[in-house]
Amino acid sequence: MKTVGSKKGTLLAIGLACGGVIASLPFVWMLLASFMTRGETLRRAFLPGDIQWGNYAKAWSEEDFGSYFENSLIIAALQVGGTLLFSLMAAYPLARMKFRGREVVFMIILATLMVPETVTMVPNFLTVSWLHHNSPFGWINNWPALTIPFMASAFTIFLLRQFMRGIPEELWDAAQIDGAGHLRFLFQIVLPMCRAPLLTVGMLTFISSWNALGWPLLVTNTPAWRPISVALLKFVSEAGAEVHLQMAGAVIATIPVLLLYALIQKEFTEGISMSGLKG
Amino acid sequence: MNKEHLTAWILLSPALLVLGVFGIFPIFYAFFVSLHAWRIRQGEVVGAVHYLQALGDPAYLGLAAVAAALIWLAWRWGHRPNAELAVTNKPQVTPGSRPGVWFVASLVLGASGFVVLAMALGGLAETGDLRLYNGFKITLFYVLGTVPAEIAISMVLAYLLFRAQRGKSVFRVLFFLPYVTPMIATAVVFRTVFSPHPSSMANRFWGWFGLENQRWLFEGRSVAALLLEGLGVGSYPDWVNDLFPSLALVSIILYNIWVYVGYNTVIMLAGLSAIPRHFFEAAAIDGASAIRSFIHVTLPLLSPTVFFLTLVGVIGTFKAFNHIYIMRTAGAQDSVDVLPVVIFDQIYQFHDAGYASALALILFAAILLLTVMQNRLLGKRVFYGD
Repeated sequence: MKTVGSKKGTLLAIGLACGGVIASLPFVWMLLASFMTRGETLRRAFLPGDIQWGNYAKAWSEEDFGSYFENSLIIAALQVGGTLLFSLMAAYPLARMKFRGREVVFMIILATLMVPETVTMVPNFLTVSWLHHNSPFGWINNWPALTIPFMASAFTIFLLRQFMRGIPEELWDAAQIDGAGHLRFLFQIVLPMCRAPLLTVGMLTFISSWNALGWPLLVTNTPAWRPISVALLKFVSEAGAEVHLQMAGAVIATIPVLLLYALIQKEFTEGISMSGLKG
Repeated sequence: MNKEHLTAWILLSPALLVLGVFGIFPIFYAFFVSLHAWRIRQGEVVGAVHYLQALGDPAYLGLAAVAAALIWLAWRWGHRPNAELAVTNKPQVTPGSRPGVWFVASLVLGASGFVVLAMALGGLAETGDLRLYNGFKITLFYVLGTVPAEIAISMVLAYLLFRAQRGKSVFRVLFFLPYVTPMIATAVVFRTVFSPHPSSMANRFWGWFGLENQRWLFEGRSVAALLLEGLGVGSYPDWVNDLFPSLALVSIILYNIWVYVGYNTVIMLAGLSAIPRHFFEAAAIDGASAIRSFIHVTLPLLSPTVFFLTLVGVIGTFKAFNHIYIMRTAGAQDSVDVLPVVIFDQIYQFHDAGYASALALILFAAILLLTVMQNRLLGKRVFYGD
């Protein structure tokens, strides 16, 4: 009996290890190749001879990844901050206040989930071009076009609303007795309670902002506000066989997301699991 | 009371403004734009011209609708005598029903439906925009190549994680990594993994089996054609290339599986963990083997999760853009160009907002239709408990 159990255990371990190796192999290759010389990447080398830190310096300064990196960070920060604030504000009345039209508003918000970005891209580009000429600040080649259209998300509002509905009514009664209104209750009681879902949707927003490619290509045509995704694409299509520099660029583009993931790994994985369970 | 209304609307207003201007208004605006000649700026009204240019001769569209109706009817009839069986899941035939007649009728109907459909599609591809129908075809390959494989692999991994005594959280983090890492970075990595260069990882792996170097992402010919050529068959009919995915698309499919298996595994694990233990215990007491208990207990209870993941997977495939745009090469020709890529080219390269909008709305209609169909076909088979 014991041997059968341990045999099963070994099979389990082998299966998991296989999955783990396949999941991590491309990362290992990316890291190793980013430290190689050009010759080594062409020569089927598996390990870099001397570690070429210079690849990173070259990608960072000569290929200007530093400034694209900074652009992406600013864009992501604005987008995450804006989405979380506006979605929190919108989710609260939908979850806990009574007013006429609440259900209709909620349905309309949910309906936007169905619309793929491909459909909105062209008209939004025309809208943003119009705003560029008719508003006090420029939109094209500037941060507003890159961030404002994404500052509210139906998915985030939905998730926060579901969470807020679970907050016990007694808390609101107690807050009212203490003389707090809706605004104080939202920002002093509800906000801290929403920490876990906010971290989850914040991370998802960060990833999608960092990944955005089509829209930034449309609304930036100078390097001034070009994000790292567009820079990587141009780099890949122009630099041809410079594999070691491409990999250094990819590592640079990966670091912020992996850092964030390392910090909030537990909450994020739990949050994603919950979103699947509730459908 | 009035003040509370005001507070509610003030809190809602920023999100509603953004979603209204950039989420809802664009649907109507896209329709408006699609009815105009619209290069850099608004031109004259052209009506349905863009839609006809994209979809093709309306007569063939009508034919396709007839074919769809025939197939739907055949499906209904084929299921009629079994309608109750599907619910109770017992292999009994109710006496008095005539499954034979219905079955033959539905078979004939279904077969003629598919013949008509083939005729209609042939006509549409000839009179309409080939890139549109090619895009749908590639999306179909893409869905069939990714979604079932992702579900199957993640189910195995989730089961292993579920049973594992130690290292659970470490492996969960590891499997999740490809999903979390920005696709713009991993797509660049996989461009070198699947590069035609002899030193690429894919070619090295291929070399272990003594196989010839392949062109991977630069290969526009279909895998079936390559297989035939590998076997020494030099000449083959055109459909060998047309009815199978290209090696470039298969490479992208493998990448897609690598990215999403981890996400599916995490969701699947949550689904597994939510199943009350006493179900498994009851099955074990009844003497069910591990495999039987998996088929009769775990799978039905996991079906809502599988349904959710299928829905997310299929819709995600229809929207796939970023990684395909990064991984597409001149060598692959149009063999990886899904619709979002075609539409993006239309606006980014050709600045044709009118036609791009028409194509986008056709894609939107297809996604809506598919969601409804998926809900009706699969939704019924999902077991949500009692």
